[in-house]
Amino acid sequence: MFGKLSWSAIPVHEPIALITSIVVILVMLGILALITVKGWWPYLWTEWITSVDHKRIGIMYCILGVVMLIRGFADAIMMRTQQAAAVGGAQGYLNPEHYNQIFSAHGTIMIFFGAMPLVIGFMNFLTPLQLGVRDVAFPTLNSVSFWLTASGALLVNVSLFIGEFARTGWLPYPPLSEATYSPGVGVDYYLWAVQIAGIGTLMTGINFVTTVLKMRCPGMSLLRMPMFCWTTLSSSLLIVAVFPILTATLAMLSLDRVFGWHYFTNDAGGNPMMFMNLIWAWGHPEVYILVLPAFGIFSEIFSTFSGKPLFGYRSMVAATLFICVVSMMVWLHHFFTMGAGPAVNTFFGIASSVIAVGTGVKIYNWIFTMYGGRVRFAVPMLWSMGFIFTFIMGGLTGVLLAVPPADFLVHNSMFLVAHFHNVIVGGVVFALFAGLDFWFPKAFGFRLHEGWGKAAFWFAFFGFWITFAPLYVLGLQGMTRRLQHVNIDEWKPMLDLSVVGIGVLILGVISQVVMLVVSIRDREKLRDVTGDPWDGRSLEWATPSPAPFFNFATMPNVEGEEAYWGIKVRAIESQRLGPEPRYEPIEMPLSSPVGFYTAVFASVTGFALIWHIWWLAGLGLLGAFIGFVVFAWRDVHEFHVPAEEVARVDRARRAARQALMERIADQGALA
Amino acid sequence: MSELEFDPHRYTGALDDREDHAPGDEPAEDAGHWIANSNLGLGFSVILTAGAFVLANTNLIYGPSIPIALLVLAVAQMGVHLVFFLHITTGPDNTNNVLALAFGILVVFLIVAGSVWIMNHLNANMMPMDQMIEMQR
Repeated sequence: MFGKLSWSAIPVHEPIALITSIVVILVMLGILALITVKGWWPYLWTEWITSVDHKRIGIMYCILGVVMLIRGFADAIMMRTQQAAAVGGAQGYLNPEHYNQIFSAHGTIMIFFGAMPLVIGFMNFLTPLQLGVRDVAFPTLNSVSFWLTASGALLVNVSLFIGEFARTGWLPYPPLSEATYSPGVGVDYYLWAVQIAGIGTLMTGINFVTTVLKMRCPGMSLLRMPMFCWTTLSSSLLIVAVFPILTATLAMLSLDRVFGWHYFTNDAGGNPMMFMNLIWAWGHPEVYILVLPAFGIFSEIFSTFSGKPLFGYRSMVAATLFICVVSMMVWLHHFFTMGAGPAVNTFFGIASSVIAVGTGVKIYNWIFTMYGGRVRFAVPMLWSMGFIFTFIMGGLTGVLLAVPPADFLVHNSMFLVAHFHNVIVGGVVFALFAGLDFWFPKAFGFRLHEGWGKAAFWFAFFGFWITFAPLYVLGLQGMTRRLQHVNIDEWKPMLDLSVVGIGVLILGVISQVVMLVVSIRDREKLRDVTGDPWDGRSLEWATPSPAPFFNFATMPNVEGEEAYWGIKVRAIESQRLGPEPRYEPIEMPLSSPVGFYTAVFASVTGFALIWHIWWLAGLGLLGAFIGFVVFAWRDVHEFHVPAEEVARVDRARRAARQALMERIADQGALA
Repeated sequence: MSELEFDPHRYTGALDDREDHAPGDEPAEDAGHWIANSNLGLGFSVILTAGAFVLANTNLIYGPSIPIALLVLAVAQMGVHLVFFLHITTGPDNTNNVLALAFGILVVFLIVAGSVWIMNHLNANMMPMDQMIEMQR
């Protein structure tokens, strides 16, 4: 009746997991009770859960990502402290079973449910605004994508309370992940959580390729798009190209596990190396899916805070597309040591080094954007400059790792761990925090507190280096990754130093939380009444803050690169706004609960497949299908926003712009 | 400051013939042409499919060349599908579709050719089995 599920799945013998579970469940019940008592459900349901507004969906993606980043960070704290506490005779406080689950969960959560939702959240929030349109190509599909991602995140977290998580690392390498060696449900939790979230990601990719190619406002030719839109396009192309590989590979592993097939087994003609090959054919483009939008965010920030157009815009576009294609030709560098001959290793080594050329072009472009500009050291700019330093160091160790003979020495060592954290934290995470600070006013209508933001940056920057610089040293000394116990006493000082670093990082996280609380408290003082708080250059700053749900009252008419900057300079020079447009009713897509329903049934299906409760899996699929059918048969897709409402919103915006223009005229310079 | 200029003549929101079309989003064509086109495609694909069976089962062509012939028929079949059913043309209204097709072919080529090459090279740098056994003695 209930497959493999029984009461023994509750981890009563694991105090850490049990206490965490109870605390998390109590907190969630508390939040639900608060929402019920305050009567917030109707608002949440109509304005957020069923919303198909790309800005709302983007914000929900970011909230999901931030919550998961904190969960993953808790895992990181446990790993660093366990290693420092388990040197020589000491055993630390985590047994191997638990420790292996923690490093697997850390990687899975950080990549799939922390970084990906945040990156996709930015793509959602920004792309239509920057392209000057009112929504993405497929608004309801977008909502389905988000809720499927949330469903995957839910499954990963359920594994904490019911059953266990994978002990195989963030990519479940066979034969360890085959049913013979991982008989529990841990790998199944991984597989189904990632499969469900992966479907959501694939649909996001399709959605944004279509949006960028087909939904630009008049005059917005491809080579007038802001850099972030180019990176959205490249990242989405990569998603469409490689996520099917992930889905197929994990499906093959599932077939091995459930039906005893032999794709990746050691016997009966299977080959585990095929898994490594396929998973990295997805896995390496995946890191560019994450980092390209991060590059887009930095491009926007560097040019805004230097008061200059982006240096070498066209070379930046070329570098982005170059990285997009070459990223699919380097995957073997993740397994140089498998035994391939010099021909294969040399090819992939050179291809990996060549990618650094594209990235180098970008770095120089950012530096030259700052050169000769009037640089403002606001919080987003601090993150961006910290990124240049950190990312160059990560890139240099990456080029070192791309040389096969050097890679043989540090393969699977702490050096590798330090390298990829160097590029992912220094590249992606710094970009996400920079972007959160930069676009927060556009999303919520008020700025974030500057002092706490700066504190958060400096703690994160130094915390990062104190944590990971020792790991480079340890890696060169021969320490391998994923050790639950360290038996060389000489490594203790470096491991302790790394714990100090994580302490500084904790201060950084606390600063971020305080920044948020203080900013919400002082929101009236920090309010952005102009809609253009940073003296921005792209079209999102042409809208009021927060942007109305229809984004633009009338379609913008773009006549060059940096669409908004051109309009702004012209208005300031002539000291008048353009004539008031003729307002017309706007058609907007109706909200739909289909995304939420689909995700509920997907979660049920996933949970049932993990525990082999076949009837429930069938029921879940049927439920999801019925939701789809009901949605497909609806008659009304859109509603009209009356012209008076559009006019009211836009006149308020024009009044704010008029005031800002007069203020600038008084001061004689741009704000 | 920012005045978003509005010119209703610049943007109609409607697809015209000069714009790029997605599959299924083409301007209307008359039903007769559509049916004729589809039937032509169906005819070609049936001939190509039947041809493959005929060639494989008879002595119509030189035996060892049959695999090559089947390959040619398969490629032709793909072409028929692209032209008659997916409506891929070389016209300016089809740039995105052609680019998407090229990108897809590139990705598939990279992954398939790369995987075949990698998997064939799997053991190039491994110690031969007899030496391994020798070492274990």
